[in-house]
Amino acid sequence: MKKFLPPLIPLVVITLAVESSVRSGFVPSYLVPAPSAVLRALINSRDELAAAMAKTSAAALLGFALSTLTGIAIAVLLSSSRAIQRAFYPYAVFFQTVPIIAIAPLLVIWFGYGMKTVIASAFIVSIFPVIANTLTGLLSTDPALRDLFRLYGASPAVTLVKLRFPAALPQILTGLRVASGLAVIGAIVGEFIGGQGLGSVVDVARTQQRVDKVFAAVLLASVLGLALFGLINLISAVTLRRWHASEQAS
Amino acid sequence: MHRRSFLAACGAALTACSKAAKIRLALNWKPDPQFGGFYAAPYQKHGLDVEILPGGAGTPTVQMIGAGSAEFGIVSGDELVVARSRGNDVVALFAVFQNCPQGIMVHASRHLASIGDVLKEGTLALQRGLPYARILEKKYGFDRVKVVPSPGGDISAFLRDEKFAQQCFVMSEPLQARHAGVDVKVFPVADIGYNPYTTVLATSGAQLKSDPDRTLALTAAMVAAVRGGWRAYLNDPVPTNTKMHDLNPSMDAAAFAEVAEAQKPFIETAELGNMTTERWTTLIGQLAELGDIPRAMPAQECFRNL
Repeated sequence: MKKFLPPLIPLVVITLAVESSVRSGFVPSYLVPAPSAVLRALINSRDELAAAMAKTSAAALLGFALSTLTGIAIAVLLSSSRAIQRAFYPYAVFFQTVPIIAIAPLLVIWFGYGMKTVIASAFIVSIFPVIANTLTGLLSTDPALRDLFRLYGASPAVTLVKLRFPAALPQILTGLRVASGLAVIGAIVGEFIGGQGLGSVVDVARTQQRVDKVFAAVLLASVLGLALFGLINLISAVTLRRWHASEQAS
Repeated sequence: MHRRSFLAACGAALTACSKAAKIRLALNWKPDPQFGGFYAAPYQKHGLDVEILPGGAGTPTVQMIGAGSAEFGIVSGDELVVARSRGNDVVALFAVFQNCPQGIMVHASRHLASIGDVLKEGTLALQRGLPYARILEKKYGFDRVKVVPSPGGDISAFLRDEKFAQQCFVMSEPLQARHAGVDVKVFPVADIGYNPYTTVLATSGAQLKSDPDRTLALTAAMVAAVRGGWRAYLNDPVPTNTKMHDLNPSMDAAAFAEVAEAQKPFIETAELGNMTTERWTTLIGQLAELGDIPRAMPAQECFRNL
C-alpha cells in the first residue's frame, strides 16, 4: 500500500481536475476529452483496441528483443578494441538521431506493409541506448579485478562472461529501461505508416475527430510501456539483488 | 483571452478603418495551388492584415478555429459537420472546390471499369477514417483487397506495384504518375455519390454570434478578399505560384503551373465559393447514416454565403 499510494495521488487529482474542467465547459471536449469519455471509448471499442494492443505489444516486444540482442552484441564488439570502437561508434550514433518519421515510408518499401515494418521501426528507435549503455558498462570494469583475472590466466572470453558482462549489468539494464519506452514509440510510429495496431487506431480516430478514442489508444500504449519497464525492473531486481547498491537499500 | 483579443482586433479594424486587423488563416497543407487564391487575395485592399499559417499532414485546423488559435482555417465539408456535432461551432464561408477532387488512382493497365473493381484485388492505400472510405467499405467490403494507410502524396509504392491503388487528389498524384511514365486511371470519389465541399474557408460561429455587427463586417471583408484572390488566381496563377514556390520549394515550378490548370474545373462556378443548402443537407444525411454524427442537423447552420 505504501508503495502504491504516492503514484496514485497525482493520478486521482489530475483525473478529477480534467474531468471537472471538461464537464464545466471550461475546456471544450473536442480539445481534451473527459477521462470518463476515454473510459467509455475503452469499453465501447474494447475488441478493436484489444486486437490493436496485441499487435502493438508483439511488434514492440520483438523490436525491443532484437535491439537488446543486437545492441549488446554490437557493444561487445566495439569494446573489444579501441580501433574498432573509433571506426564504428560514430555510426551507432546514427541510430539515435535518425528521424524515424522521415524514413518510415522507406521501411514500407523495404519490408512491405505490416508487422516487419513496425518491428524495424521499433528496433531502429530503441537500439542506441542499449549500445551506448552496454559499451560504457563493458569499459568500466574494475581494473583491479581485470588484473586479477589476467593473473589467473583467464581467456578474454572467460573474462567477458565471468567478469565484464556481469559488472556491466547495471548500465545495461539502464539502457534497456530507456530502450523499452522508445520501442513502444517506434512501434506506434511504424504503425502510422505500416498500418496496424494502436498506431492505426490513433490515425483513424484522429481523422474522425474522436479525441476520446485517440486518448484511449495512447493510454494503452503507455500501459504497454509501463509493462515493459516493469519487466526490466523485475530482471534488475533478480540479477542485481545480491551485489549492487541500487537494488539493495530500502 | 483570445476571444477578447480577436474582438479587440476586429474593433480596431473597423473603428479606425485604415488600420488593418491581424488575422490568422490556418491551412491544412503546405502552400500549393489548392490554396492559390488565398495567397493571391488582396487582403490589404479590404483593410485586413492576414497571416497565413501553412500546415502539414493532420494539422487540426477545425480544432484550431474552435480553440481560437486561428480566426480562419481551411477545412473540408465533412470535417466541419462532424466538428459541429461534437460541439465545435465552426461555420463554412467559402468553398474553393465545388466538387470533391478526391479520387482513387489505379494503373490503367489493369483495365478496371469501376471503383468497385478496385476493391476486388491488390492493395488499396487510403485514409480509413475518412467518410468516403467507410462508404466504400459498406458498399463493397474490404475483404478482398488489402487496405493500407495512405502514404500522402508519395507515389513510390504505386509506381512499383501494378496492383497498388491509391487515394489521390485528381489534379495532383495522377499527374506525377504520368510524369513517371505510368499510365493511370482515376475514379473520382464523387462517383459513389459522396461529394462534400473541400478546401473550405471556415470561421468560428461563436465569434459571429457574440458580436454580429463587427465580426460580420470583418468576415465579409475576408470573404470578399478571398473571392477576389481566387478570381485573380484563376485568371493568372503565375505570380502567386512563384510566391508559393518560394515558400514550398519541394514542389517544382512546373508542377505548380500544371496543378493550377488541372484544378480549374473543380473550382469555377457562377459565384466563386458559394454553397447550397441542398449539398450540405445531402452531406449531413450521408454522415448521419454512416454514424459519424449522432443525428442530422439543420444544413443552414453549417454555412454562410457572404
